[in-house]
Amino acid sequence: MTLLLDLFGFLSVVLRGLMLTAQSLTVGGVAFLLLLAAPLSSEIGVAGAVVIKRSRTLLGWSAIALALVAAISVLIEGVILADTVGLTAGETLGAAFVLAGIAVIGASVAIAWLTLRDRSAGFSGLGLLALAAIILIAQTMTSHAAAQIDDRLLLAAADLLHQAGAAVWIGGIPYLLIALRQCPDPVTWRRVGKRFSHIAMVSVAVIVIAGLVMAVAYTGSVAAIYGTTYGVMVMTKVALLFHLLLLGGMNYLLVERLAGNPATPMLRLRRFAEAEIGIGITLFFAAASLTSLPPAVDLPNELVSFAEIADRMMPTWPRLSSPDHADLAIPALQAKLDAEAAEHAHKAQAFVPGAGDLPPRNAEDIAWSEYNHHWSGLVVLAIGLLALAERSGRAPWARNWPLLFLLLAGFLFLRSDPETWPLGDIGLLESLRDPEVVQHRLFVLLIVGFGIFEWRVRTGRTASAQAALAFPLITALGGALLLAHSHAVINAKEQLLIELSHIPLALCGVAAGWARWLELRLDPPAGRIAAWIWPVCLVLVGLVLLNYREA
Amino acid sequence: MSLVRRMFPLIVTLGLAFAVGRQAVAHALVVESSPAIDGSVAGPQIEISLRFNSRLDHQRSRLTLIDADGTQHRLTLSQDSAPDMLQAKATGVSPGTHKLRWQVLAIDGHITRGDIPFRVTQP
Repeated sequence: MTLLLDLFGFLSVVLRGLMLTAQSLTVGGVAFLLLLAAPLSSEIGVAGAVVIKRSRTLLGWSAIALALVAAISVLIEGVILADTVGLTAGETLGAAFVLAGIAVIGASVAIAWLTLRDRSAGFSGLGLLALAAIILIAQTMTSHAAAQIDDRLLLAAADLLHQAGAAVWIGGIPYLLIALRQCPDPVTWRRVGKRFSHIAMVSVAVIVIAGLVMAVAYTGSVAAIYGTTYGVMVMTKVALLFHLLLLGGMNYLLVERLAGNPATPMLRLRRFAEAEIGIGITLFFAAASLTSLPPAVDLPNELVSFAEIADRMMPTWPRLSSPDHADLAIPALQAKLDAEAAEHAHKAQAFVPGAGDLPPRNAEDIAWSEYNHHWSGLVVLAIGLLALAERSGRAPWARNWPLLFLLLAGFLFLRSDPETWPLGDIGLLESLRDPEVVQHRLFVLLIVGFGIFEWRVRTGRTASAQAALAFPLITALGGALLLAHSHAVINAKEQLLIELSHIPLALCGVAAGWARWLELRLDPPAGRIAAWIWPVCLVLVGLVLLNYREA
Repeated sequence: MSLVRRMFPLIVTLGLAFAVGRQAVAHALVVESSPAIDGSVAGPQIEISLRFNSRLDHQRSRLTLIDADGTQHRLTLSQDSAPDMLQAKATGVSPGTHKLRWQVLAIDGHITRGDIPFRVTQP
């Protein structure tokens, strides 16, 4: 169970990300019904009733998803807590996070019941509002604010407003898509779009003001913004917010253009909104990652200076030759232990996967890891350049670039965990007790599947339009997971320096994924612009990997 | 091909479920402690006091003293300490290297654990 507690670190971030997503869809759905769908229903004719009915369906299922994720999260954490501290079921039930979880589950089930039982009947707006408020208050009880020593009420209020603003805006976008799909004419499109724009503007103002209050309280200084992992994750959220504001701003301009020109291409509004949903979900995963980190203000002695960051980021020639496997810390230690075992009866193991200890590392391990990153960078750079060549239309053969992913997968399979099979002494099954090894093996599988799949799409072996969407979705998902991932390093400073290289990779992944999405979903010429963006993002990923350093 | 397509959600779900990393820097932090990390205290009776950066649920937190030979002694926590403190008293602690293992439940629901190695000297 102690091992499970270690594993729960990352799993809890993923669950929190899913919970924030489901919560935003639920609270955003309630806000959309009360602020847009119901008031405009009579103005947009028959379509109004359909919009309300379909919105209720999405709201109901979002609430069910929220109840499920909250139940899984409370159950896992409750079992871990009870087992590791030795609590009875009654004692565990009294924990604040369990009570908050029960409140979220209860309110979500009630929302699902109110919205799904008879979708043609009226609904109690006040009841839905009260239930949405219960969800937000309960979730605030499991935020940083609840455990603060000082200014608890102010920070709790800021946190609640921040979550509410995000839910109303980002959580409302899928409902906006439902409404836009039903709008019969440009006049109705404009009415719905303009009203949502106003709601979004107020929400953004609330998000920014509440976010500023929390940023000042939790980071404490300008140096902490770039010198701590917490500060850097806050800036990542700001960068994603700018992505969203850019897309939202373009949609606002489209709605305004609609007033003067009814022939404005409205498909673009829907497609931008789809990308907004995806980037919004990534934002929720970044927020979930932030809740697992200690506030920067609590780490005054762990600040990384600007000079240290600049020194690590300074471009150097890539490491293209590998150290010997035998010189790595674990194989070297194992050889020493084996030599000792030859004299004694007992044979010791240099590293036990899954025992919860950090593996030993030496300078050769760092060189090994940098070599892996640099060669991977070269392959990804080649993939990006070939994709650009394919895009130029002058090199049709370059469309086979996804096959390079197979090369990358083979390279990672061999070298990502040198202490394990096939290079090391630790067998395949035994190595799977180490969560990081499992993660690497699964990502190798994902890369193989992705490479074969995209190659078939590029070469016309798969004709389905939906099949092509796998690329953007998987790339964007990979970027989001990279934001939620934490690294097994021994101190906060080293963790930050690694994060500083992984965050640009994650942001490039997210941008590449949604650019490809827009390329596939938008009509020309807008789609053609997006088609240039994602190969450039892949080139950038390759360059960042080429400059990756661990010392 | 459809098999590969069907496998994607499965792989992604498995990735979500198992792609885990150990966190070196967790949510709740020890701001100061007595005994200090790698510090020395005189035995055999030790007053233990840990201050955190978060409000704690004392009833659902624990403190364990681990001897040099790995024997674990669970300590009784004082229930009237400050919201961000864990306090306990250990008796009969022999000289040598020991480890204080703490696990706390912060009020916001995060479980965090860690070790404080220290030395006990003759009184």
